[in-house]
Amino acid sequence: MRMLNMHVVNVLRRQCIKQTPVLVQREGSWLMTHCLKSLLLPSSPPCRGLSTAQRLRKEASQPSTDKLDLDLWKSVMKSGGDSSEVTQAEESTEASPLGAMRELVEMWRQAGKLVPENMTEEELQTLEELPTKSSRKKYLKYLALKEGHKKARKKKQEKKKQERAEDAKGSGEDEEEEGSRMKNTFLLQFWQRSIDSLYNWRAAQAMQFGQSLVFDMSYDRYMTRREIENTVSQLLECEGWNRRALDPFHLHFCNLKVEAAYHKELIKRYSGAWDRLLVSVTDRPHQEVFPREKLVYLTADSPHVLKTFDHDKVYIVGAMVDKSIQTGLSLANAKRLNLATARLPLDEYLHWDSGAKNLTLDQVIRILLTIKDSGSWEKALRFVPSRKHEGFYEPQQSQHKHWGKSEARRDNSRTQGAFVRHQAFNPRMQKTLLKDSRSGETAGKSKGKKNWWEEED
Amino acid sequence: MGTLLISCTLNNIYPLLVHSRSSCFAVHKNVSSFFKVWVPLKVQRFSTRVGNSHEGDNKRPNTKQKEQSGKVPHALPKSVFAAGTARKKAEFLKQKWGNDFDKELKGPRKPKENNIPSQPLTAAQWKTLKDDARASHHFEVSMMEKMLAANSDIDVAKSLLAYVAMETGTVSYELLLRYLTLCVHGNHESEVFDVYDIMKKRFKTLETGAYSLFIKGFSRTEKWRECLLLLESIKRVITPSPRNYGYAINGALLHGDSRTAWVLYEEMVEKGLTPNQETWQAFFDSDRSAHDSESKLSSLLLYMRNNQIYPGEALVKSIKAWFESVPGNKWNGSWTTPENSGHCRNCCSSLESIQLTEDEYNQLKEKVMNDVIQGKDVFKKTTPQELESFKSFVKKRPPFDVVIDGLNVANTTSKGNQSETLLEVVSHLAQQNLRLLVLGRKHMLRGSRSWDRKNMSVIQQKADCFFTDNISEDDPFLLYATLHSGNHCKFLSRDLMRDHKACLPDSSTRRLFFKWQRGHQLVLSSYTAGRRIRFETVPKYDTIIQTEENSWHIPYDEDGVERYSYEVPRKWLCLEMKR
Repeated sequence: MRMLNMHVVNVLRRQCIKQTPVLVQREGSWLMTHCLKSLLLPSSPPCRGLSTAQRLRKEASQPSTDKLDLDLWKSVMKSGGDSSEVTQAEESTEASPLGAMRELVEMWRQAGKLVPENMTEEELQTLEELPTKSSRKKYLKYLALKEGHKKARKKKQEKKKQERAEDAKGSGEDEEEEGSRMKNTFLLQFWQRSIDSLYNWRAAQAMQFGQSLVFDMSYDRYMTRREIENTVSQLLECEGWNRRALDPFHLHFCNLKVEAAYHKELIKRYSGAWDRLLVSVTDRPHQEVFPREKLVYLTADSPHVLKTFDHDKVYIVGAMVDKSIQTGLSLANAKRLNLATARLPLDEYLHWDSGAKNLTLDQVIRILLTIKDSGSWEKALRFVPSRKHEGFYEPQQSQHKHWGKSEARRDNSRTQGAFVRHQAFNPRMQKTLLKDSRSGETAGKSKGKKNWWEEED
Repeated sequence: MGTLLISCTLNNIYPLLVHSRSSCFAVHKNVSSFFKVWVPLKVQRFSTRVGNSHEGDNKRPNTKQKEQSGKVPHALPKSVFAAGTARKKAEFLKQKWGNDFDKELKGPRKPKENNIPSQPLTAAQWKTLKDDARASHHFEVSMMEKMLAANSDIDVAKSLLAYVAMETGTVSYELLLRYLTLCVHGNHESEVFDVYDIMKKRFKTLETGAYSLFIKGFSRTEKWRECLLLLESIKRVITPSPRNYGYAINGALLHGDSRTAWVLYEEMVEKGLTPNQETWQAFFDSDRSAHDSESKLSSLLLYMRNNQIYPGEALVKSIKAWFESVPGNKWNGSWTTPENSGHCRNCCSSLESIQLTEDEYNQLKEKVMNDVIQGKDVFKKTTPQELESFKSFVKKRPPFDVVIDGLNVANTTSKGNQSETLLEVVSHLAQQNLRLLVLGRKHMLRGSRSWDRKNMSVIQQKADCFFTDNISEDDPFLLYATLHSGNHCKFLSRDLMRDHKACLPDSSTRRLFFKWQRGHQLVLSSYTAGRRIRFETVPKYDTIIQTEENSWHIPYDEDGVERYSYEVPRKWLCLEMKR
């Protein structure tokens, strides 16, 4: 303990000595230094005492000791004032309103607000055209977050690249050591290309014989630019999930007007792949493509609950993102065309907690794909984000509540065979199959009991 | 079942619904002979009530109200549109269901550690403090923010700046801005000037936050004219906020330049900004001694009237003081509440009626049809066929007296059968010989446990009924039928119609709708199955700032009463000229 103390004292002493000249310069703080010194340097020569006394007298003659020190920053700021910042600002001085806006954004950034560092002319123009202050702030926040994500991604990529380079270095050395080792050829290697061709084969098959699923693309006039962008990214995801599914839908993009905002955005996002995509695209409305009685419009506002998934119907999903919820928009469309409507049985299976009952397009297609494959709403509705609900109703409860389930169970057993047939292809299926067998057990158990609806029949 | 209920409600106390239309004496064509027997009796009673002027009908409910308030500690105010009702209801429900929600919110929050130094520190001390802090890169700014929150001594902040300036050779804009906030809030004028000089020197332009703070800081000092320049520099990039204008005006008024203040005020209103109450208050306060802008001040009051703005308590006190200080001691102001009949309790003059004028009524009718019912897409709320059939339905029948939102009324209580509740209310109104229209949805006719077929057929005898498709909204039909039956027709629903009000395109139409709604909406205030049906009183007067030759009546927001946007104040200021 004593040793340690000595050490600390030594360190402090050294620092004090080092800092003394600086501290003395900064008047006012010298008092503390002096105290420290008198504490730590007991062996200081007596002449020091004289000098401190002098200083003390000087100090006492000034009314407020702190004043000098406290306003020091002002003189620093004033003296170092004309630094690069001013000259730089003068260079960019333009009489244009955009220049003023750019300056404002820059100052906002300096004030610690959430605004982007760099803005293009186009973005500035958009900003200028926004009508209210709050909308401008929101737009800037959006840009700032986007920029932040972009930066984070770049950083991550960079890091990975570096790691890979290091790894390559390491493994390269290994190879030299045991270069004679044979490659493992026990399992046939799967190439991405062959997986792709498998997916495409399935999609092509679905296009010939599979069930159709329509995305109604007639909503572009109800959406803002950003919402359209969001919709298109969701559509991309939808197509991806569908392609990788065991038994994909035949996707139709109906009402897609050529050269409209949707079309342009889709082409932009898919770039070259758009023409090779295994999706039916038409500018004709869905009621002309399919017989009216086969169509069912899926909309959250529908009064009818989709109890069982019908494999003969053509379901329509409105391709729309409405950040400000536009109630009844898709229902109005369905009413206009006099189509059947349905909503997913969210309330019937889930303890809904909070949040609107609208789902993103990719969530919808995953629910539909699962219900198509498994016939079990419990499994399908797992794709509803868990933040929105507090879990499923107890099995018994939901059985009592929903007579539609008995049919769903039958579906389940029917599709079991299909699972086994395909499982070798898709490692992802292995997992679902495991879960499947578990739920199959419960299904078997419940079959043993006689249900009330069976008695009624 | 039906007869039993009717005898119950006949024994029931006086109807609270008052009608001055003669046509309501006509017997409903669908009413069965059983009901006709009772008609003369009802007519008699009804006519006396009409003869009794309005004061009469309010005595009874008032006494009842007192009885009720004796039992329930949280008696609700009479009208859903009265200020504070929504707040009280929310509190009542919170009490009823326990304060779980609050606890949840408060639970995990820890008290913030307070490590703000109480004395100015030296650079070295700041350094150690910074090294100890967790997020050291953000240390200075967050420390400054903490000081602002704790309202601590400015010298401490200065010492922090000194430390930063020594360490880095400069002080960042963000930190300066925080320091400026501290100075402005603490009223340190000379510091504000110094910071202004420094910032102007260091930065070519400032942002809106700094400009606003400087405007506020300068408005109280001799350099208030600087505010105008600052305001100009804000205008170059963005519309200044009402608060910016407010401080600049305040500065001008404080230093006796009321001409500039009025110019600024007009500029602000021209830009479509709504001035702050403090700004108005400043005008009234500053003119109290001089009294040279009387007409302008009354134009302020008219502006509030035209935009249905209610002054707060502080402002209304200034207004009262101004009026009372008019030379010659001409005005007399007093706090009051009007009677339900629409008379001021203080000066006994009658207030403006809540009824719309012919023009206003027609304008509203058209706007509701175009914007609420049809909107951009008729299919959103109904279908064209349904709308047409409803239109002809309304046209074919004589005008209604009360239009009832069937589903809303049926769900008034959680106890009891829905169709029974509806039937009881319908019979209660039918007794008063009113022509009724009940709106519902088709599922109500299908017959189920809660929608008994017998009850429904009795309802259909007593009132005209229209059932919309199950996926259509019924509220737009309610509005249409009420509006097309003439100005006397009322509607019965608890729904505040806020979503329909929001469909209207401009605020003046919305205000018109709200006025019409307050004068035409009946709300069940208390309902006990089989015993008591009572409606909230419909006010006869419009709650808005109003003037006549020698009086002003100004409704105002009390302090401590939270008024929601769909409510109106209950307290008034009555100003009358002495004779």
